[in-house]
Amino acid sequence: MPGIASGLYNSIFRRNVVFLSAVFAGAFTFEIGFDQTLNRFWDWNNQGRQWKDIRHKYVESDEE
Amino acid sequence: MAPLPSRASTLLRTCPRRLLQCLNPAFATSQQRRTKADVVERSSGQYDQTARFESPFKNKNDNPTTKIPSFANYMSKKGETNNKTFQYFMVGGMGLLTAAGAKATVQDFLVNMSASADVLAQAKVEIDLAAIPEGKNVIIKWRGKPVFIRHRTADEIQEAEDTKWENLRDPQPDSDRVKKPEWLIMLGVCTHLGCVPIGESGDFGGWFCPCHGSHYDISGRARKGPAPLNLAVPEYDFPEDEKVVIG
Repeated sequence: MPGIASGLYNSIFRRNVVFLSAVFAGAFTFEIGFDQTLNRFWDWNNQGRQWKDIRHKYVESDEE
Repeated sequence: MAPLPSRASTLLRTCPRRLLQCLNPAFATSQQRRTKADVVERSSGQYDQTARFESPFKNKNDNPTTKIPSFANYMSKKGETNNKTFQYFMVGGMGLLTAAGAKATVQDFLVNMSASADVLAQAKVEIDLAAIPEGKNVIIKWRGKPVFIRHRTADEIQEAEDTKWENLRDPQPDSDRVKKPEWLIMLGVCTHLGCVPIGESGDFGGWFCPCHGSHYDISGRARKGPAPLNLAVPEYDFPEDEKVVIG
């Protein structure tokens, strides 16, 4: 555990530039994951009630 | 000249002495109590680079009334690096969440300001040109404004291109106003005060505005009357040969 902590400290937290860049890069990736997770949950919670689920009942042909 | 106050004169007399002390180390050492090591360092001009600290409370007998509490119970057993890493991790994690939240907030505001789907759906108009015979006008509505589409004949194209456009009020060649010479597409709003001109009338065989008598030629250029500019040409495109998309 001390090896992980000191490695993390020396690689990321020691230089402010690296720290800030890591924060913003982390925010970017976090947002993608967060959005995907929430969207998946929403789709699961509303199964069979969204237009994409019932579209095939009303639209037979592929174009319009 | 008034005599100096006694304190000021004393200061004046001692100042040169102090200066001398600063300049001459040997003199200074004689004046002040110094340790032997300091004197050696000063005179050789070299200082010890390693920092030293000696606790003034080391010898208990020196300060019998001073009691130093023990902080051992409050000190971390995990060591410095672990705690420091944890603190920076929490700070960074908080910053990460804040940055993501701030970005989402700003993005929501900007998305809110952009055109909605129903506006975008009406922003483009597609017209089948095959239904318009040569030499006929069609007026369609686009974004709440009339748009003139004229299928020009070869004579009209020739006339529009041969006009001496350099001396017109708003000089513009016919090639700048059309993408295909047989299709003239422009906004049907008079550039004077915004009436809708009447097609196939006027002195120049183009459009005539009944409100204040502006005449436009077969390329939609202002030729006579109060109109200051040519009829505006909207963005349009021919995705297929017989179709035009305005907008």
